[in-house]
Amino acid sequence: MHFKDFVFFSDISRLKMALGIMPGTENLGGDELILPLVAKGDQQAMKRCIQQYGPVVWSIINRRIHHRLDAEETCQEVFTEVWRKAGSYDSAKSRESTFIGLIARRRSIDWQRKQSRLPQLSNLESSPDIPLASSPPPGANIDRKMIWEALSSLPEQTRELFALHFEKGMTHEEISDHAKIPLGTVKTQLRRGLIKARRLLKDISGKEGPKS
Amino acid sequence: MNQENSFDRFEELDAGRAFGDLSSEEFNEWQQLAPQFLNSQEVSFDYLLTELELDKTSSTPLPSSLSQKLGETTDQFISGDNKDSDDQKVTPFVSWLGWGIAACLAVLLLLGPSEPKVATVAEKSEPKVLTVAEKFEVLKESSGSMLLEFAPASDPYAKVEGEVIWNDERQEGYMSLINLAANNPKENQYQLWIVDPERDELPVDGGVFDIPEGVDKALIPIKNALQVDKPTLFVITLEQPGGVVKSKQEVVVAIAKS
Repeated sequence: MHFKDFVFFSDISRLKMALGIMPGTENLGGDELILPLVAKGDQQAMKRCIQQYGPVVWSIINRRIHHRLDAEETCQEVFTEVWRKAGSYDSAKSRESTFIGLIARRRSIDWQRKQSRLPQLSNLESSPDIPLASSPPPGANIDRKMIWEALSSLPEQTRELFALHFEKGMTHEEISDHAKIPLGTVKTQLRRGLIKARRLLKDISGKEGPKS
Repeated sequence: MNQENSFDRFEELDAGRAFGDLSSEEFNEWQQLAPQFLNSQEVSFDYLLTELELDKTSSTPLPSSLSQKLGETTDQFISGDNKDSDDQKVTPFVSWLGWGIAACLAVLLLLGPSEPKVATVAEKSEPKVLTVAEKFEVLKESSGSMLLEFAPASDPYAKVEGEVIWNDERQEGYMSLINLAANNPKENQYQLWIVDPERDELPVDGGVFDIPEGVDKALIPIKNALQVDKPTLFVITLEQPGGVVKSKQEVVVAIAKS
């Protein structure tokens, strides 16, 4: 699906009707949920988890980490994290693939930061000192189709940047070179595009705005 | 900055954090604003970007060597070998609290309240994270691994000793080096080169590394930039900081030959 294919929905209610508000409970492949079993320490479930989600985790990692040994170590760290955090998975809030994909994404970004010689990262087990979020549902009622729809309302240049990033797999630097746009502009447009898309999604799903 | 402006700034920084493009200065700013605004987010940027990425990501089969490693890790999960699980929680990254908080919060935003299920997780055995020394030994015992001794070059590296272990199938290797002098990373760094005649005449970059002061014996993971199939020679050189793409081999430190 390419978000250019979408018609811009200026009328939120029409968009809601067209898309439906689908809870994020769909599991990859519609199979039985694996993570609740992993949370109970089920060995076979953990093996199935690796078998089922390993390829997508490996793809996410390979997109950012081109060194084989580091990529493999990151993949092991991801599944170690999955093993530890499986008990926190709530199928009403996200799909299993999103839960695992988010961990893979964060681990890969952590690795990139280490490589760029920015301050090194601790692992996800570090105890935070600052107050934690009160854990609102992070994505319930929002599915991928709705996100792409929201992005379709962005200005053409911003949409193009999202396409280069997600469809072509380009880094921000590569986008800057390819589109001949300063790197700072690429970052700003992607950030603001994401913010705008989230605000639209909040309107679609009937959630209150974030401002307190 | 008033409340609304502060939130707008936080939101922009948080989007950058989710994209992974914050500078150190921006992260510090995010860290200051996060306690005030993190709770007010109904939908995390991490969630949205993960969904988008998953939608456009094709699955790539796991390499057989990685499947094997993951299988071994899983076996450790279940083995109940947690007699010193707390000690075994080896932190793979140097602790730097700020980014850890960012990562932790990002995951917590998705995971939601931990509630009673966390207790179940806590009861499970922790997987053992192998140290480099243990990985070295494991690789030594693995089928298909080759072990070569380093021969020292001329002074001032005449006393350098050590060995290199390499496994083609796993694309994994380590060096054990004794008496290699500490380097100043701002002036120069050691770099490993791997010669694989069947692949190319040009050696493959095996990674840049440092020897800190006071270290007599160092274990260094090999970070081959490219696939290496049948290496015949491992050469350590001294290069400019960050290493070089092609070495002039002006300073050769040690050589291991098959």
